[in-house]
Amino acid sequence: MQRCLECAKKEPDRPCVECQYFVQLSPLRRVPSPPVRVLLEDEHGRQYPARILVLNTTEFGLETEAPVPGRYVIRLQENLWVEVAGVPFKGKNNVHVFDILCVHRKQGTARRLSREEYQLLAGSAGELIQEISRHLPEHLQDLVREKLLAEVEKSELINALRVGKVMKYEGGRFRYLSGQADLDLPMEEAEKLMRQAIRQAEHRREVIISADGQKVFDLHGVPFDHRSGGLLAFDITEVIEKERKMHQQEMQAYREAIAAVTGGRLYLVNSGEMEKVISEGTELARGEVRQTHDIPEARRAMREALPVLDSRRQHAIALCLTEALANALKHAGGGCWQARQSGDTVRIIVQDRGPGIKTSELARATLMQHYSTKNSLGCGFTLMLYYADHLYLNTGPSGTALALDFGVVPAGRLKPDKTNERG
Amino acid sequence: MDVYVDRGVCRVVLNGELDVETVAQLQEVVGKVEEHTLEVDLSGVSFVDSTGLKSLLDISNDWRQKGGQMLILRPQPDVAEVMRLVGLDRLLAQNTAPGGEER
Repeated sequence: MQRCLECAKKEPDRPCVECQYFVQLSPLRRVPSPPVRVLLEDEHGRQYPARILVLNTTEFGLETEAPVPGRYVIRLQENLWVEVAGVPFKGKNNVHVFDILCVHRKQGTARRLSREEYQLLAGSAGELIQEISRHLPEHLQDLVREKLLAEVEKSELINALRVGKVMKYEGGRFRYLSGQADLDLPMEEAEKLMRQAIRQAEHRREVIISADGQKVFDLHGVPFDHRSGGLLAFDITEVIEKERKMHQQEMQAYREAIAAVTGGRLYLVNSGEMEKVISEGTELARGEVRQTHDIPEARRAMREALPVLDSRRQHAIALCLTEALANALKHAGGGCWQARQSGDTVRIIVQDRGPGIKTSELARATLMQHYSTKNSLGCGFTLMLYYADHLYLNTGPSGTALALDFGVVPAGRLKPDKTNERG
Repeated sequence: MDVYVDRGVCRVVLNGELDVETVAQLQEVVGKVEEHTLEVDLSGVSFVDSTGLKSLLDISNDWRQKGGQMLILRPQPDVAEVMRLVGLDRLLAQNTAPGGEER
């Protein structure tokens, strides 16, 4: 019998299944809880019950009476079995390391567990999927497991999934099977989803927000037959919150970088801040642009509404309005504009409902001269950055809003020595 | 828009605003020109936007490819500044006549 000296010294009474000696410590080492029950089968067909205490993609830590060394087969699913060999000098009592020699799948063989197989055994989603499929009619089990795994993989939420609930739906009623019992699901929505899944005889997925708006659930409906199915529910509230925070941090970094590069003149703002920017001051004029012809019209209407300014300022404002409107027309098929005044500042605002500037494109679109995602000179932002004193930009999938500030001194208040600018 | 032809030189005199709305007219007129040298007189143009500048650049490139030359004449100061800002003055350097001498 082998002893792990390190653990024996520290805590003589505890098994050392989690220590480095046993299964190499790596990001892929997992301790399934509870341990996964499997059967080891030797070449003569003798079977030994075993429990997977710890695993990575190339080794299992098994608790079993099976003799070590020795070669065994572990059947995980109909089409998935693993050949293992006990490592005699690694382990103690009934707990030993088993090397994964070969993984047999429907599609072929491999030397290690794939990500899906590994997660099937290690991750909470895997356990849940195992659990739910245990109650399925046999001919559906593999199919449903495969589909669910693919779906859960796709959702990219797998790593953050911790709690879940599995229920069976039959004859209009839900029966609790496993998982977190106190997960308070929106049952009305869940029933709708199950009815759809069963009627259409296919897997349905929906993300639903609880009635109080506090929780977000990822619901999967799996039809078993024409009148029953399984419901798999994950609470993804934390995941959503985490994603939102990451997005905020990313935007904050962009804001700071862009503000710094533009000498504090271009600000990326959120929609709340934009609301405020848009509502300040008093409105001088507004209009809409749907075709190129509307742009000179907008320029004319704005010139008429502006106070009398020196011609250079007037020209700068007209040019910036034109560039912003041309962008809205090109990228969003049109938009609306307004001119507002607050004290000695004229603010031009252009809004559209286009797809927005992608975050990854933002810096290039706003800061790089001659960068254009459409076929154009790509200098609209260059000009706006040059002429406007401050720019506020809010962009996202529901549209883009751009506000440009121009400090103006109405011509009536110009000092005599400056009036020569007006020719 | 006025067009004068004299001894292999075509001079197009523009008036008003050259922008996303009017570039098509300019391109249509210029498309019929067959002379070696094309002069675009901007003295009557009070406003040019980036679309207008793009079409000037395109026309200039066309002319150069055909072995001819294009000159931009007498842009007003505001227009000249915009051309300078987007670097068009450098792109057209070899065939841009000095301008802005009168308003």
